[in-house]
Amino acid sequence: MIALASVSKSFDDGLSHSVLDLDLGVRAGEFLVILGESGSGKTTTLKMMNGLITPSSGSIVVDGRDIASVDQVMLRRQIGYVFQGIGLFPHLTVAENIAMVPSLLGWPRADRADRVDELLALVQLDPATYRSRPPAELSGGQRQRVGIARALAGRPKIVLMDEPFGALDPITRDHLQLEYLKIHRDLGLTTVMVTHDITESLLLADRIAVMCSGTLRQLGEPADLIAEPSDPYVAQLMETPRRQADRLGHLIGQTGSPS
Amino acid sequence: MNQNLARQLEILPLNLSHHLKITVIALAIGVLVGLPLSILIARRPRLRYAVLTVIGVIQTVPSLALLALMVPLLAMLSDLAERTVGTGFSFFGFYPTILALSLYSLLPIVRNAVTGILGVDPTLTEAAKGIGMTPRQTLLRVELPLAAPVIVAGLRTATVWVVGTATLATPIGQRSLGNYIFSGLQTRNRVAVLFGCVAAAVLAVILDVLIGALQKATAERRRALAVASMLALALVFGGGLVAPTLLAHWRGVNRSDQVGIGAKTFTEQYILASLFEQVLLDAGIPARRNESLGSSVGLDALARSEIDVFVDYSGTIWANAMNRSGSADRETVLDEVSTWLSTELGIRTLGRLGFENAYAMAMRRDQAEALGITTIADLARHAPSLKIGGDYEFFERPEWFAIQERYRLDFGREVTYDSTFMYEAAYRGEVDVISAFTTDGRIDTYDLVLLDDPLGAIPPYDALLLLSPEAAERDDIVTALTPLIESIDDQRMRFANSLVDRDEDKKPPYAAASDLRAAIARPTPP
Repeated sequence: MIALASVSKSFDDGLSHSVLDLDLGVRAGEFLVILGESGSGKTTTLKMMNGLITPSSGSIVVDGRDIASVDQVMLRRQIGYVFQGIGLFPHLTVAENIAMVPSLLGWPRADRADRVDELLALVQLDPATYRSRPPAELSGGQRQRVGIARALAGRPKIVLMDEPFGALDPITRDHLQLEYLKIHRDLGLTTVMVTHDITESLLLADRIAVMCSGTLRQLGEPADLIAEPSDPYVAQLMETPRRQADRLGHLIGQTGSPS
Repeated sequence: MNQNLARQLEILPLNLSHHLKITVIALAIGVLVGLPLSILIARRPRLRYAVLTVIGVIQTVPSLALLALMVPLLAMLSDLAERTVGTGFSFFGFYPTILALSLYSLLPIVRNAVTGILGVDPTLTEAAKGIGMTPRQTLLRVELPLAAPVIVAGLRTATVWVVGTATLATPIGQRSLGNYIFSGLQTRNRVAVLFGCVAAAVLAVILDVLIGALQKATAERRRALAVASMLALALVFGGGLVAPTLLAHWRGVNRSDQVGIGAKTFTEQYILASLFEQVLLDAGIPARRNESLGSSVGLDALARSEIDVFVDYSGTIWANAMNRSGSADRETVLDEVSTWLSTELGIRTLGRLGFENAYAMAMRRDQAEALGITTIADLARHAPSLKIGGDYEFFERPEWFAIQERYRLDFGREVTYDSTFMYEAAYRGEVDVISAFTTDGRIDTYDLVLLDDPLGAIPPYDALLLLSPEAAERDDIVTALTPLIESIDDQRMRFANSLVDRDEDKKPPYAAASDLRAAIARPTPP
């Protein structure tokens, strides 16, 4: 669905590289997580997939076409994007925010209104209650639900997510993660999500791409990464959730599992 | 009600409607130019720096000077247009006012708009791009709506500035609330001055409140308030745009049919303009007054038939327009001035009104007697220890250079006054000598003496009744005004001036003009 071949990106004319010689393929219908620390090049990689950032070299093919040769604006309208800071427009209502891409695509007004209600229901917000509210009146979790609804509004096949749940409290995060996973499966989406949260990546991903210093260290299913890390950095990363799981298991074992 | 106040109220619709009109048009141009300019420079740091510097410099030019500078600038453009496309335009009154005020409004509009656009949270512009907005859609749907409160705040500042500065349009021939202030200052009519200031302040406050409501509406995204304040503003602005025309229509006058009577910024000129207006109206010729014109503006406007009737003084034209140094006898000056006006500017000299309003050195009587001074020549010895006061232009005029040269004068200090305050300054001893006008009523009021000019450094200043090229062709105007030739002597003019300038029992210029007219009709007492 998305194929990056020898992609590099330098913001300082080649002195240093945010992304260096990256080959990465995203399969249709999969949930791929790019995992890395800040500065690892993961967000740059994501932004290159919809043309927000132009690669310095290499090629990116989305849905069979090299994106260097297509209309960037149309490309972005066909790819859903959930932003790290959510990025809802404060001067517009929830409905206007969600209907933005359909409006840019020239959908008739009635279709847009139907789509807004459909999406609000999909992200578990009551349309009648939330439709005409400004974003400022919503909680963080509600805002990100709207952010997801906005990304899905144009019926994209691909959704890119940049640390979408990072700023949420743990309980809300857990809910939203599972809800999004369900949406991803029900709609048959191809999702690429960037995160630095190891546990999140293990729980959501079909495959995880671990990046460090602009390069891909390992690409594989979560179980493989834990069982057979091929890189010392990946091994070190996977130690953390394993240790946490052991301690949690111990705690749960002490108090007795409800089952 | 106080008669003076009633008179001010009577002309309020006229002055206010013109003031509103120039304010509205200047602001509209300011926004139409400023907003696209802001959008253009917001993303280009070097261009932004250059543009903001230029409009910042414009702002530092004193507003009165900026307005005055627009007249020669437009005159040049008008000449150019006449040579290239065959038709010029009026470079006097409306156009230079609009140009200067629009320029003046640019700084707050552009500075705020740029600040507003650059102040939009970058995550929002990135989100806009990320979901597939074109740069244009990002601007219209995200950046401008979010910057709107700051942009409107700039408009608010610009509005208050322009309302205030528009009062200074009067000396370049544009009627405004400044007419109250300028003529009030010259005729020592404090009621008129205050009236003009209060009217301008009230207008500024009303517009400020309305635009403030719009600003609140955009900041809080309250659509109803936004619509209501926009409607109110549209009403005020739209009203201002058509008010002068409606007013003229309602009064049944068509401006283009009217004979324009020009007047400079002092009492005598206001009285004479009123006198001509009365005479013309009685002859069935519609007329309007264009008062408080800057000294050099009047003659230019007359040459182009922007105004039709104007009084200027032979010596003033001789020294300032023709650049002649020194003096000559009265008839020679008159002949040469008339010929020059006719051949150079196409202006017809209908004749002398009869009086002379000359520059003259004046002193307090007691001081002149104590120092034994009766002529300018006597001054030379005492000059280094004396202070001289003059009106705005006197110390730059060729007459003053001629006086200094002939009599070898070297005063201890030169002080510039508005002519309103100059006489009183002499009376109170702030200065010892002033550049008085011989017909000014305050010479008698303050018991000043005029010094003789034995060496003839000061040219004669016969008041000449001048007609524009167009008016010169009209027999009805010539017939109506000809009886005024040689009908006003020094004493009559000075008395009429004193009616307006004195502090007790003051008369407005139009009443003094009526008195003067009655005096002209009576035969001179033996």
